[in-house]
Amino acid sequence: MIAWTGKKTVEGIAYAADVLFLSYLAFKEFLSPARRGRSEVSKAVTRQLLLIGVDALPVVGAMALMLGLIVIIQAGLVLPQVGADAFLAHVIVVTIIRELGPLLTAFIVIWRSGTVMCTELGFMRVDQEIAALEAMGIHVIGLLVMPRMVGAIVSMVCLTVYFDLVAVIGGFVVAKIALTIPFAAYLTEIEKALSMADVLITVIKSSLFGLAIAVICCHHGLSVGSAMAEVPQQATGALLNTVAVCLILDIVVSISFYL
Amino acid sequence: MMSEAVITLDHVSASEGNQVRVDDFSLTVRRGEAVALVGSSISGKGVALQLCAGLEAPESGSVRILGVNPAAASEEEMLHLRRRVGFAFVKPALLSALNVFDNVALPLRYHAIFPEATIHDRVMARLAECGVEGLRDRFPAGLAMGDARLVAMARAMALDAEILCVDEALFGMDADELVRFRKIVENYRKQRTVTLVATFSAPTRLFAMMDRLVLIRNGRVVADCPPAEASRVADPMVRDFVTT
Repeated sequence: MIAWTGKKTVEGIAYAADVLFLSYLAFKEFLSPARRGRSEVSKAVTRQLLLIGVDALPVVGAMALMLGLIVIIQAGLVLPQVGADAFLAHVIVVTIIRELGPLLTAFIVIWRSGTVMCTELGFMRVDQEIAALEAMGIHVIGLLVMPRMVGAIVSMVCLTVYFDLVAVIGGFVVAKIALTIPFAAYLTEIEKALSMADVLITVIKSSLFGLAIAVICCHHGLSVGSAMAEVPQQATGALLNTVAVCLILDIVVSISFYL
Repeated sequence: MMSEAVITLDHVSASEGNQVRVDDFSLTVRRGEAVALVGSSISGKGVALQLCAGLEAPESGSVRILGVNPAAASEEEMLHLRRRVGFAFVKPALLSALNVFDNVALPLRYHAIFPEATIHDRVMARLAECGVEGLRDRFPAGLAMGDARLVAMARAMALDAEILCVDEALFGMDADELVRFRKIVENYRKQRTVTLVATFSAPTRLFAMMDRLVLIRNGRVVADCPPAEASRVADPMVRDFVTT
Protein backbone atom coordinates (compact mmCIF):
# COMPACT_ATOMS: atom_id res chain seq x y z
CA MET A 1 0.00 0.00 0.00
CA ILE A 2 2.82 2.39 0.92
CA ALA A 3 4.72 1.41 -2.23
CA TRP A 4 1.57 1.96 -4.34
CA THR A 5 0.98 5.39 -2.72
CA GLY A 6 4.62 6.34 -3.27
CA LYS A 7 4.51 5.21 -6.91
CA LYS A 8 1.29 7.13 -7.60
CA THR A 9 2.70 10.24 -5.90
CA VAL A 10 5.86 10.14 -8.01
CA GLU A 11 3.76 9.60 -11.16
CA GLY A 12 1.51 12.52 -10.18
CA ILE A 13 4.48 14.83 -9.62
CA ALA A 14 6.05 13.77 -12.93
CA TYR A 15 2.72 14.36 -14.72
CA ALA A 16 2.33 17.83 -13.16
CA ALA A 17 5.93 18.67 -14.09
CA ASP A 18 5.36 17.57 -17.70
CA VAL A 19 2.16 19.64 -17.99
CA LEU A 20 3.81 22.71 -16.42
CA PHE A 21 6.82 22.34 -18.72
CA LEU A 22 4.55 22.15 -21.77
CA SER A 23 2.76 25.32 -20.54
CA TYR A 24 6.15 27.02 -20.18
CA LEU A 25 7.19 26.01 -23.72
CA ALA A 26 3.87 27.17 -25.18
CA PHE A 27 4.08 30.51 -23.34
CA LYS A 28 7.68 30.92 -24.46
CA GLU A 29 6.54 30.42 -28.06
CA PHE A 30 3.73 32.93 -27.55
CA LEU A 31 5.91 35.62 -25.97
CA SER A 32 8.86 35.25 -28.32
CA PRO A 33 7.42 33.83 -31.53
CA ALA A 34 10.04 32.45 -33.88
CA ARG A 35 10.82 34.41 -37.01
CA ARG A 36 9.50 31.47 -39.01
CA GLY A 37 5.95 30.34 -39.52
CA ARG A 38 4.15 33.48 -38.35
CA SER A 39 1.48 33.32 -41.04
CA GLU A 40 0.90 29.58 -40.51
CA VAL A 41 0.71 30.07 -36.72
CA SER A 42 -1.73 32.98 -37.15
CA LYS A 43 -3.92 30.77 -39.36
CA ALA A 44 -3.79 28.03 -36.72
CA VAL A 45 -4.80 30.48 -33.95
CA THR A 46 -7.74 31.76 -36.05
CA ARG A 47 -8.86 28.18 -36.75
CA GLN A 48 -8.77 27.35 -33.04
CA LEU A 49 -10.75 30.50 -32.15
CA LEU A 50 -13.40 29.41 -34.63
CA LEU A 51 -13.49 25.79 -33.47
CA ILE A 52 -13.32 26.40 -29.72
CA GLY A 53 -15.08 29.74 -29.47
CA VAL A 54 -17.41 30.61 -32.35
CA ASP A 55 -18.67 27.07 -33.00
CA ALA A 56 -19.51 26.66 -29.29
CA LEU A 57 -21.80 29.71 -29.13
CA PRO A 58 -25.10 27.83 -29.77
CA VAL A 59 -24.50 25.10 -27.19
CA VAL A 60 -23.12 27.54 -24.59
CA GLY A 61 -26.08 29.86 -25.19
CA ALA A 62 -28.62 27.03 -24.81
CA MET A 63 -26.99 25.73 -21.61
CA ALA A 64 -26.73 29.26 -20.17
CA LEU A 65 -30.37 30.02 -20.92
CA MET A 66 -31.55 26.81 -19.24
CA LEU A 67 -29.30 27.27 -16.20
CA GLY A 68 -30.31 30.93 -15.83
CA LEU A 69 -33.97 29.97 -16.07
CA ILE A 70 -33.63 27.29 -13.38
CA VAL A 71 -31.65 29.44 -10.93
CA ILE A 72 -33.79 32.56 -11.41
CA ILE A 73 -37.11 30.69 -11.11
CA GLN A 74 -36.00 28.78 -8.02
CA ALA A 75 -34.45 31.82 -6.32
CA GLY A 76 -37.32 34.06 -7.40
CA LEU A 77 -39.91 31.69 -5.93
CA VAL A 78 -38.10 30.53 -2.76
CA LEU A 79 -36.44 33.73 -1.55
CA PRO A 80 -39.73 35.71 -1.07
CA GLN A 81 -41.07 32.84 1.04
CA VAL A 82 -38.29 33.41 3.61
CA GLY A 83 -38.43 37.18 3.29
CA ALA A 84 -35.13 37.36 1.42
CA ASP A 85 -36.38 38.55 -1.98
CA ALA A 86 -33.91 41.45 -1.83
CA PHE A 87 -31.11 38.92 -2.19
CA LEU A 88 -32.18 37.59 -5.60
CA ALA A 89 -29.50 39.58 -7.42
CA HIS A 90 -26.83 38.46 -4.93
CA VAL A 91 -27.81 34.81 -5.38
CA ILE A 92 -27.57 35.17 -9.16
CA VAL A 93 -24.21 36.93 -9.02
CA VAL A 94 -22.75 34.34 -6.63
CA THR A 95 -24.12 31.22 -8.31
CA ILE A 96 -24.01 32.15 -11.99
CA ILE A 97 -21.36 34.82 -12.48
CA ARG A 98 -18.86 33.79 -9.83
CA GLU A 99 -19.10 30.01 -9.96
CA LEU A 100 -21.34 28.20 -12.43
CA GLY A 101 -20.65 30.45 -15.43
CA PRO A 102 -16.91 29.81 -15.67
CA LEU A 103 -17.17 26.21 -14.50
CA LEU A 104 -20.00 25.09 -16.82
CA THR A 105 -18.42 26.91 -19.76
CA ALA A 106 -15.18 25.06 -19.00
CA PHE A 107 -17.04 21.74 -18.95
CA ILE A 108 -18.64 22.50 -22.32
CA VAL A 109 -15.24 23.45 -23.80
CA ILE A 110 -13.66 20.27 -22.36
CA TRP A 111 -16.48 18.14 -23.73
CA ARG A 112 -16.51 19.82 -27.17
CA SER A 113 -12.92 20.88 -27.80
CA GLY A 114 -10.66 19.28 -25.17
CA THR A 115 -11.38 15.77 -26.40
CA VAL A 116 -11.00 16.93 -30.01
CA MET A 117 -7.57 18.46 -29.23
CA CYS A 118 -6.42 15.25 -27.57
CA THR A 119 -7.67 12.86 -30.23
CA GLU A 120 -6.54 15.09 -33.12
CA LEU A 121 -2.97 15.27 -31.79
CA GLY A 122 -3.08 11.58 -30.88
CA PHE A 123 -4.03 10.57 -34.42
CA MET A 124 -1.41 12.96 -35.80
CA ARG A 125 1.17 11.15 -33.65
CA VAL A 126 0.00 7.69 -34.79
CA ASP A 127 -0.06 8.76 -38.47
CA GLN A 128 3.49 10.17 -38.14
CA GLU A 129 2.22 13.66 -39.05
CA ILE A 130 4.04 15.10 -36.04
CA ALA A 131 7.24 13.26 -36.97
CA ALA A 132 6.87 14.65 -40.51
CA LEU A 133 6.50 18.21 -39.16
CA GLU A 134 9.64 17.77 -37.06
CA ALA A 135 11.47 16.35 -40.08
CA MET A 136 10.58 19.50 -42.06
CA GLY A 137 12.01 21.71 -39.31
CA ILE A 138 8.56 22.85 -38.20
CA HIS A 139 8.27 23.60 -34.49
CA VAL A 140 5.51 21.37 -33.15
CA ILE A 141 4.87 23.34 -29.94
CA GLY A 142 4.68 26.59 -31.93
CA LEU A 143 2.36 25.24 -34.64
CA LEU A 144 0.18 22.80 -32.68
CA VAL A 145 0.18 23.57 -28.94
CA MET A 146 0.55 27.34 -28.70
CA PRO A 147 -2.37 28.14 -31.10
CA ARG A 148 -4.61 25.74 -29.14
CA MET A 149 -3.56 27.38 -25.86
CA VAL A 150 -4.22 30.92 -27.15
CA GLY A 151 -7.49 29.79 -28.77
CA ALA A 152 -8.69 28.08 -25.58
CA ILE A 153 -7.81 31.00 -23.25
CA VAL A 154 -9.39 33.70 -25.44
CA SER A 155 -12.42 31.52 -26.22
CA MET A 156 -12.95 30.61 -22.56
CA VAL A 157 -12.97 34.27 -21.48
CA CYS A 158 -15.36 35.29 -24.28
CA LEU A 159 -17.63 32.27 -23.84
CA THR A 160 -17.83 32.81 -20.07
CA VAL A 161 -18.90 36.44 -20.52
CA TYR A 162 -21.43 35.27 -23.13
CA PHE A 163 -22.66 32.50 -20.80
CA ASP A 164 -23.14 34.98 -17.92
CA LEU A 165 -24.99 37.49 -20.10
CA VAL A 166 -27.34 34.88 -21.57
CA ALA A 167 -27.94 33.22 -18.19
CA VAL A 168 -28.63 36.47 -16.30
CA ILE A 169 -30.58 38.39 -18.95
CA GLY A 170 -32.03 35.59 -21.08
CA GLY A 171 -32.90 33.54 -18.03
CA PHE A 172 -34.80 36.44 -16.53
CA VAL A 173 -36.68 37.21 -19.75
CA VAL A 174 -37.92 33.63 -19.91
CA ALA A 175 -38.55 33.43 -16.16
CA LYS A 176 -40.61 36.63 -16.34
CA ILE A 177 -43.60 34.38 -17.08
CA ALA A 178 -43.48 33.10 -13.49
CA LEU A 179 -42.09 36.17 -11.69
CA THR A 180 -43.46 39.64 -11.01
CA ILE A 181 -40.17 41.56 -10.65
CA PRO A 182 -39.79 44.40 -13.19
CA PHE A 183 -36.89 43.93 -15.60
CA ALA A 184 -35.36 47.36 -14.94
CA ALA A 185 -35.38 46.77 -11.17
CA TYR A 186 -33.83 43.35 -11.69
CA LEU A 187 -30.99 44.80 -13.78
CA THR A 188 -30.36 47.59 -11.24
CA GLU A 189 -30.09 45.01 -8.45
CA ILE A 190 -27.69 42.87 -10.48
CA GLU A 191 -25.58 45.96 -11.20
CA LYS A 192 -25.44 46.78 -7.47
CA ALA A 193 -24.57 43.21 -6.48
CA LEU A 194 -21.89 42.81 -9.15
CA SER A 195 -18.49 44.25 -8.23
CA MET A 196 -15.46 44.86 -10.44
CA ALA A 197 -13.70 42.10 -8.46
CA ASP A 198 -16.37 39.59 -9.57
CA VAL A 199 -15.72 40.41 -13.22
CA LEU A 200 -11.96 40.28 -12.76
CA ILE A 201 -12.08 36.96 -10.90
CA THR A 202 -14.35 35.48 -13.56
CA VAL A 203 -11.83 36.49 -16.21
CA ILE A 204 -8.95 35.03 -14.15
CA LYS A 205 -10.82 31.78 -13.61
CA SER A 206 -11.83 31.35 -17.23
CA SER A 207 -8.27 32.14 -18.42
CA LEU A 208 -6.85 29.51 -16.06
CA PHE A 209 -9.47 26.99 -17.17
CA GLY A 210 -8.65 27.68 -20.83
CA LEU A 211 -4.94 27.22 -20.15
CA ALA A 212 -5.54 23.98 -18.22
CA ILE A 213 -7.86 22.54 -20.89
CA ALA A 214 -5.47 23.24 -23.77
CA VAL A 215 -2.24 22.18 -22.12
CA ILE A 216 -3.55 19.01 -20.43
CA CYS A 217 -5.39 17.83 -23.55
CA CYS A 218 -2.39 18.60 -25.81
CA HIS A 219 -0.09 16.82 -23.35
CA HIS A 220 -2.26 13.69 -23.47
CA GLY A 221 -2.53 13.87 -27.27
CA LEU A 222 1.24 14.19 -27.70
CA SER A 223 1.76 11.32 -25.23
CA VAL A 224 0.18 8.82 -27.64
CA GLY A 225 2.76 6.33 -28.92
CA SER A 226 2.29 4.42 -32.15
CA ALA A 227 -0.89 2.45 -31.39
CA MET A 228 -4.37 3.62 -32.39
CA ALA A 229 -5.77 2.05 -29.18
CA GLU A 230 -3.87 4.61 -27.08
CA VAL A 231 -5.90 7.52 -28.49
CA PRO A 232 -9.21 6.84 -26.66
CA GLN A 233 -7.28 5.92 -23.51
CA GLN A 234 -5.44 9.24 -23.54
CA ALA A 235 -8.68 11.10 -24.38
CA THR A 236 -10.39 9.60 -21.33
CA GLY A 237 -7.42 10.50 -19.14
CA ALA A 238 -7.39 14.04 -20.55
CA LEU A 239 -11.12 14.47 -19.89
CA LEU A 240 -10.94 13.29 -16.27
CA ASN A 241 -7.76 15.18 -15.43
CA THR A 242 -8.96 18.42 -17.03
CA VAL A 243 -12.26 18.32 -15.11
CA ALA A 244 -10.38 17.62 -11.85
CA VAL A 245 -7.83 20.40 -12.46
CA CYS A 246 -10.57 22.92 -13.34
CA LEU A 247 -12.44 22.09 -10.11
CA ILE A 248 -9.22 22.42 -8.07
CA LEU A 249 -8.38 25.74 -9.77
CA ASP A 250 -11.92 26.97 -9.10
CA ILE A 251 -11.63 26.13 -5.40
CA VAL A 252 -8.15 27.70 -5.13
CA VAL A 253 -9.20 30.95 -6.85
CA SER A 254 -12.48 31.20 -4.89
CA ILE A 255 -10.73 30.62 -1.55
CA SER A 256 -7.91 33.04 -2.44
CA PHE A 257 -10.22 35.90 -3.41
CA TYR A 258 -13.40 35.43 -1.43
CA LEU A 259 -12.32 34.03 1.94
CA MET B 1 37.11 11.81 -58.84
CA MET B 2 34.93 10.76 -55.89
CA SER B 3 32.38 13.28 -54.73
CA GLU B 4 32.23 14.42 -51.11
CA ALA B 5 30.58 12.30 -48.42
CA VAL B 6 27.22 13.79 -47.43
CA ILE B 7 26.26 11.10 -44.89
CA THR B 8 28.72 9.31 -42.64
CA LEU B 9 27.62 6.83 -39.99
CA ASP B 10 30.67 5.64 -38.10
CA HIS B 11 30.29 2.53 -35.89
CA VAL B 12 26.81 3.63 -34.84
CA SER B 13 24.56 1.68 -32.46
CA ALA B 14 20.93 2.43 -31.60
CA SER B 15 18.15 0.54 -29.85
CA GLU B 16 14.41 0.77 -29.23
CA GLY B 17 13.54 -0.31 -25.71
CA ASN B 18 15.57 -3.41 -24.98
CA GLN B 19 15.96 -4.30 -28.64
CA VAL B 20 19.14 -3.36 -30.48
CA ARG B 21 18.12 -2.06 -33.93
CA VAL B 22 21.49 -1.16 -35.45
CA ASP B 23 24.78 -2.39 -34.08
CA ASP B 24 28.25 -1.14 -34.99
CA PHE B 25 26.78 0.18 -38.24
CA SER B 26 28.98 2.12 -40.63
CA LEU B 27 27.90 3.71 -43.90
CA THR B 28 29.17 6.47 -46.15
CA VAL B 29 26.96 8.02 -48.83
CA ARG B 30 28.46 10.40 -51.38
CA ARG B 31 26.78 13.36 -53.06
CA GLY B 32 24.54 12.36 -55.95
CA GLU B 33 24.56 8.67 -55.07
CA ALA B 34 21.42 6.51 -54.99
CA VAL B 35 21.71 3.98 -52.20
CA ALA B 36 19.22 1.22 -51.36
CA LEU B 37 19.14 -0.06 -47.78
CA VAL B 38 17.76 -3.55 -48.18
CA GLY B 39 16.59 -6.06 -45.60
CA SER B 40 13.63 -7.67 -43.90
CA SER B 41 11.14 -5.54 -41.96
CA ILE B 42 13.00 -6.15 -38.67
CA SER B 43 16.51 -5.79 -40.07
CA GLY B 44 17.01 -2.30 -38.66
CA LYS B 45 17.14 -0.53 -42.02
CA GLY B 46 14.38 1.92 -40.98
CA VAL B 47 16.40 3.05 -37.95
CA ALA B 48 19.51 3.28 -40.16
CA LEU B 49 17.55 5.55 -42.52
CA GLN B 50 16.39 7.75 -39.63
CA LEU B 51 20.03 8.01 -38.49
CA CYS B 52 20.98 9.05 -42.05
CA ALA B 53 18.39 11.86 -41.84
CA GLY B 54 19.35 12.95 -38.32
CA LEU B 55 15.91 12.05 -36.98
CA GLU B 56 17.29 9.46 -34.57
CA ALA B 57 20.18 9.95 -32.14
CA PRO B 58 22.72 7.11 -31.88
CA GLU B 59 23.67 5.63 -28.51
CA SER B 60 27.27 5.24 -29.61
CA GLY B 61 29.34 6.09 -32.65
CA SER B 62 29.17 9.28 -34.64
CA VAL B 63 26.92 10.67 -37.38
CA ARG B 64 27.72 13.48 -39.82
CA ILE B 65 25.14 14.73 -42.28
CA LEU B 66 26.16 17.44 -44.75
CA GLY B 67 29.05 18.24 -42.41
CA VAL B 68 26.81 18.58 -39.34
CA ASN B 69 26.96 16.35 -36.28
CA PRO B 70 23.29 16.30 -35.14
CA ALA B 71 24.29 15.36 -31.57
CA ALA B 72 26.38 18.53 -31.19
CA ALA B 73 24.38 20.88 -33.44
CA SER B 74 22.59 23.99 -32.19
CA GLU B 75 18.85 24.42 -32.71
CA GLU B 76 19.55 26.78 -35.62
CA GLU B 77 21.98 24.34 -37.26
CA MET B 78 19.46 21.50 -36.89
CA LEU B 79 16.75 23.65 -38.44
CA HIS B 80 19.03 24.39 -41.39
CA LEU B 81 19.88 20.69 -41.69
CA ARG B 82 16.18 19.72 -41.67
CA ARG B 83 15.62 21.96 -44.68
CA ARG B 84 18.45 20.22 -46.56
CA VAL B 85 17.28 16.66 -45.83
CA GLY B 86 13.84 15.52 -47.03
CA PHE B 87 12.25 12.49 -45.43
CA ALA B 88 9.28 10.48 -46.71
CA PHE B 89 7.89 8.20 -44.01
CA VAL B 90 6.26 4.82 -44.62
CA LYS B 91 2.91 6.41 -43.83
CA PRO B 92 2.39 9.47 -46.04
CA ALA B 93 1.93 11.64 -42.92
CA LEU B 94 0.12 14.37 -44.85
CA LEU B 95 -1.78 16.83 -42.67
CA SER B 96 -5.41 15.77 -43.00
CA ALA B 97 -6.78 19.32 -42.59
CA LEU B 98 -4.81 20.60 -45.60
CA ASN B 99 -5.28 19.74 -49.28
CA VAL B 100 -2.43 18.38 -51.41
CA PHE B 101 -1.26 21.82 -52.55
CA ASP B 102 -1.21 23.26 -49.02
CA ASN B 103 0.56 20.18 -47.67
CA VAL B 104 3.41 20.62 -50.14
CA ALA B 105 3.40 24.41 -49.61
CA LEU B 106 3.53 24.07 -45.80
CA PRO B 107 7.33 23.89 -45.37
CA LEU B 108 7.80 26.74 -47.88
CA ARG B 109 5.25 28.94 -46.13
CA TYR B 110 6.47 28.03 -42.64
CA HIS B 111 10.08 28.86 -43.39
CA ALA B 112 8.88 32.03 -45.20
CA ILE B 113 11.57 31.87 -47.85
CA PHE B 114 9.57 32.84 -50.92
CA PRO B 115 6.61 35.07 -51.85
CA GLU B 116 3.29 33.29 -52.43
CA ALA B 117 3.58 33.43 -56.27
CA THR B 118 6.95 31.67 -56.15
CA ILE B 119 5.59 29.14 -53.67
CA HIS B 120 2.77 28.35 -56.12
CA ASP B 121 5.20 27.74 -58.98
CA ARG B 122 7.54 25.63 -56.88
CA VAL B 123 4.74 23.51 -55.44
CA MET B 124 3.27 22.85 -58.89
CA ALA B 125 6.73 21.97 -60.21
CA ARG B 126 7.27 19.46 -57.40
CA LEU B 127 3.81 17.96 -57.87
CA ALA B 128 4.46 17.62 -61.63
CA GLU B 129 7.84 16.02 -60.94
CA CYS B 130 6.08 13.37 -58.84
CA GLY B 131 3.21 12.99 -61.35
CA VAL B 132 0.50 14.12 -58.92
CA GLU B 133 -0.22 17.68 -60.14
CA GLY B 134 -3.81 16.66 -60.95
CA LEU B 135 -4.47 15.98 -57.27
CA ARG B 136 -3.62 19.50 -56.04
CA ASP B 137 -7.09 20.24 -54.61
CA ARG B 138 -7.74 16.80 -53.12
CA PHE B 139 -7.53 16.11 -49.39
CA PRO B 140 -5.34 13.28 -48.04
CA ALA B 141 -8.34 11.21 -46.96
CA GLY B 142 -9.39 10.83 -50.61
CA LEU B 143 -6.01 9.73 -51.95
CA ALA B 144 -4.79 6.22 -52.75
CA MET B 145 -1.81 5.19 -50.62
CA GLY B 146 0.62 5.34 -53.53
CA ASP B 147 -0.55 8.81 -54.61
CA ALA B 148 -0.33 10.03 -51.00
CA ARG B 149 3.22 8.71 -50.78
CA LEU B 150 4.19 10.52 -53.99
CA VAL B 151 2.68 13.74 -52.57
CA ALA B 152 4.70 13.16 -49.38
CA MET B 153 7.85 12.87 -51.53
CA ALA B 154 6.95 16.13 -53.28
CA ARG B 155 6.58 17.74 -49.85
CA ALA B 156 9.89 16.27 -48.65
CA MET B 157 11.58 17.86 -51.68
CA ALA B 158 9.70 21.17 -51.50
CA LEU B 159 12.61 22.97 -49.87
CA ASP B 160 15.03 21.67 -52.56
CA ALA B 161 16.50 19.12 -50.21
CA GLU B 162 19.98 17.87 -51.08
CA ILE B 163 19.25 14.44 -49.61
CA LEU B 164 15.97 12.56 -50.02
CA CYS B 165 15.35 9.65 -47.64
CA VAL B 166 12.42 7.37 -48.52
CA ASP B 167 11.33 4.72 -46.05
CA GLU B 168 9.91 1.54 -47.63
CA ALA B 169 9.93 3.02 -51.11
CA LEU B 170 7.61 0.41 -52.61
CA PHE B 171 5.03 0.35 -49.82
CA GLY B 172 1.47 0.96 -51.02
CA MET B 173 2.43 1.65 -54.64
CA ASP B 174 0.53 0.12 -57.54
CA ALA B 175 2.11 -0.41 -60.99
CA ASP B 176 1.28 3.10 -62.23
CA GLU B 177 2.60 4.76 -59.08
CA LEU B 178 5.77 2.64 -59.26
CA VAL B 179 6.36 3.94 -62.78
CA ARG B 180 6.05 7.49 -61.46
CA PHE B 181 8.43 6.73 -58.59
CA ARG B 182 10.86 5.21 -61.11
CA LYS B 183 10.74 8.46 -63.12
CA ILE B 184 11.55 10.46 -59.99
CA VAL B 185 14.58 8.26 -59.34
CA GLU B 186 15.65 8.46 -63.00
CA ASN B 187 15.37 12.23 -62.89
CA TYR B 188 17.56 12.47 -59.79
CA ARG B 189 20.03 10.01 -61.28
CA LYS B 190 20.33 12.23 -64.37
CA GLN B 191 20.72 15.47 -62.43
CA ARG B 192 23.09 14.01 -59.85
CA THR B 193 22.16 16.89 -57.55
CA VAL B 194 20.02 14.93 -55.13
CA THR B 195 21.37 12.12 -52.99
CA LEU B 196 18.79 9.37 -52.63
CA VAL B 197 18.69 6.87 -49.76
CA ALA B 198 15.74 4.50 -49.78
CA THR B 199 14.82 1.35 -47.89
CA PHE B 200 13.38 -1.76 -49.51
CA SER B 201 11.96 -4.91 -47.94
CA ALA B 202 11.62 -6.84 -51.18
CA PRO B 203 13.65 -7.27 -54.37
CA THR B 204 12.70 -4.88 -57.18
CA ARG B 205 13.87 -3.92 -60.64
CA LEU B 206 14.51 -0.47 -59.19
CA PHE B 207 17.72 -1.93 -57.71
CA ALA B 208 19.25 -1.68 -61.17
CA MET B 209 18.94 2.12 -60.97
CA MET B 210 20.81 2.36 -57.69
CA ASP B 211 24.53 2.91 -57.30
CA ARG B 212 24.77 0.64 -54.29
CA LEU B 213 22.79 -1.94 -52.41
CA VAL B 214 23.46 -2.06 -48.67
CA LEU B 215 22.09 -5.33 -47.34
CA ILE B 216 21.28 -5.27 -43.64
CA ARG B 217 20.55 -8.13 -41.25
CA ASN B 218 20.10 -7.88 -37.47
CA GLY B 219 21.20 -4.24 -37.53
CA ARG B 220 24.50 -4.94 -39.27
CA VAL B 221 25.71 -4.44 -42.83
CA VAL B 222 26.23 -7.82 -44.45
CA ALA B 223 26.99 -6.55 -47.94
CA ASP B 224 27.62 -3.17 -49.57
CA CYS B 225 28.09 -3.43 -53.31
CA PRO B 226 26.81 -2.27 -56.72
CA PRO B 227 23.58 -4.06 -57.73
CA ALA B 228 25.33 -6.08 -60.45
CA GLU B 229 27.65 -7.64 -57.89
CA ALA B 230 25.02 -8.50 -55.30
CA SER B 231 24.34 -11.91 -56.80
CA ARG B 232 28.00 -12.83 -56.27
CA VAL B 233 27.97 -12.01 -52.54
CA ALA B 234 28.99 -15.07 -50.50
CA ASP B 235 26.14 -14.72 -47.99
CA PRO B 236 23.36 -17.11 -49.19
CA MET B 237 20.56 -14.95 -47.75
CA VAL B 238 21.82 -11.98 -49.74
CA ARG B 239 22.14 -14.03 -52.90
CA ASP B 240 18.64 -15.41 -52.48
CA PHE B 241 17.26 -11.96 -51.75
CA VAL B 242 18.63 -10.21 -54.81
CA THR B 243 18.09 -13.08 -57.23
CA THR B 244 14.49 -13.82 -56.21
